[in-house]
Amino acid sequence: MQYFRKIVHSRLFVIWGITLVALIICLAVTLVLISHSKRIRIVDAPPKLPDAPNPTDVLPAPEQINIFLLNPTSLEITPVKTELRLYPEPTERLRQIVSVLVQETPPDYRNPIPRGTLLNEVYIDSQKTAYLDFSHHLADGHIGGTTAELLTVTAILKTVFDAFPNDIKHVQILIDGRERETLAGHLNLSQPLRF
Amino acid sequence: MWLRPFETILPLLFIVILVFTTHGIAQASTVRFVDGESKTLTDVEFTLHQGIIYFPVETLKIVFDPEMTHPYHHPKKQLTLKTKGKELRLQMGETAVNIDSGKEPLILNSPPRVIQGQPMLPIEFFQKVLPRLDDVEVLYNRTLQRVRIIPKTVWAPETTDDTHEWVIIIDPGHGGEDDFGCKSQNGVTEKDVVLAVGKEIQRLGNQQGLSIRLTRDQDVKKSRIQRVQTTNRNQGQLFLSLHCNASFSPNHKGMRLYINNPNGQLRVKATPIPVFGKKRLNILTQANFLKQSQNFASVLQKELNFLAEDPIVISEFPIITLADVYMPAILLELGYLSNVDDATRLSNPDHIVQVAETIVRAIQIYSVSVNQSANPNGL
Ligand SMILES: [Zn+2]
Repeated sequence: MQYFRKIVHSRLFVIWGITLVALIICLAVTLVLISHSKRIRIVDAPPKLPDAPNPTDVLPAPEQINIFLLNPTSLEITPVKTELRLYPEPTERLRQIVSVLVQETPPDYRNPIPRGTLLNEVYIDSQKTAYLDFSHHLADGHIGGTTAELLTVTAILKTVFDAFPNDIKHVQILIDGRERETLAGHLNLSQPLRF
Repeated sequence: MWLRPFETILPLLFIVILVFTTHGIAQASTVRFVDGESKTLTDVEFTLHQGIIYFPVETLKIVFDPEMTHPYHHPKKQLTLKTKGKELRLQMGETAVNIDSGKEPLILNSPPRVIQGQPMLPIEFFQKVLPRLDDVEVLYNRTLQRVRIIPKTVWAPETTDDTHEWVIIIDPGHGGEDDFGCKSQNGVTEKDVVLAVGKEIQRLGNQQGLSIRLTRDQDVKKSRIQRVQTTNRNQGQLFLSLHCNASFSPNHKGMRLYINNPNGQLRVKATPIPVFGKKRLNILTQANFLKQSQNFASVLQKELNFLAEDPIVISEFPIITLADVYMPAILLELGYLSNVDDATRLSNPDHIVQVAETIVRAIQIYSVSVNQSANPNGL
């Protein structure tokens, strides 16, 4: 009797053990699958990178566009020609052009965009208002003064309107995703602007 | 690569020398006399004697009174000036000026002198004596070598309406630990300059019987809303925000005036006016005061031009500093801290006083013009 009870006991023990092990394996497999699926999504994320020679993915031909910078002699915001391979889609095109304005300063010009400023996001709404979301450096790194503030905003607006004479009517500058009253305390940036 | 410094330094040196020499010739030998409207009357060659500027006596005939006679007794070195119905006696080398003999003489710091055989008058004579002879004020701008003779009747505050007390809100921008505004290379900060000018305006304005309130009178942080509340609560007649400018080019210089206009050189996207039932809300905004702000700006411009190398520009933009202030409002940029000359000027206490004096005068002229148009018969 005691022997039988022992067997039953050990059998129960084995069954429970197998169930537990199976559960652990299931859990592990699920976790691996989840992480794997995430990894796959990350790899998928940037859609614009072509890795196969598909005719629609070929880089566009270079175009000449103007970015607007400060000429330190004339003290005017003046167009500076630059060559870019621009995508046809307006939002992507806008992102490319403003990114160049933010990053590049050819010799003999001054860039009225504070150093370190990044373009986070761009968006064009149905009323032809372009929203340009910059990193906080545009405001926090600004040298101040009404003139400097005007130069910064003028350079951005002129660059945008020159590239999109029909598709963009107003520009709203955002800082880290939010509307901000002003960059340096003088000019009103709380609403979309045009010339 | 190693040649670069020479390539840049040599032309720079050349320019510096050129600027200094032309500057010296143009500025050191003549003083420009201008009238109340800042129109040039004449450029007069002066003589420097012990660091003091002296003018020929004839200058008075051009800039003050064409009818004046000025007989000079050579052996006695005595000059008699007959002008505006008064007689003045001056002894060369002596500081006393006798106006209509018998009265207390006026004492100058530097006496009239004979220089190269001719009687000459120190600049101080113009500043101190002319206001005694006629209703004029004489201003001297040392930096630009300009003398401005303003008929006092144009602006002298008349106490016709005692009940109508003018309250002027002066708003020194920025302030506190984390908002110093802009900054010069040698560490002059906007918040300090504008506070100094603001306090000086208050001191001088109160002396002149104006009621001047500051939105901040010490180095503290004030939000825009706090400033607007202080301003509207005080129900002022004028709002003047003081700032210092900055640019990405060190060549930008001079003063600038800004008016808040959402439809100015930059336009704000029109937002629909709220409607209640069939009635449109008549919202009181800065726009209601645009015309008055423009008038005040042009008075400030005319007065401040006397201190400016180049004519001051008035621009209209959507200016947040002036939004929500329910009175005529101006933003004055006192100069560029990013420009070496401007920064030097703005750290000079004499310049601060001169700017404050000019602003107070502009406020007085504007207030008189408003009171006159409100009360054309002067009753
Ligand atoms: Zn400022």
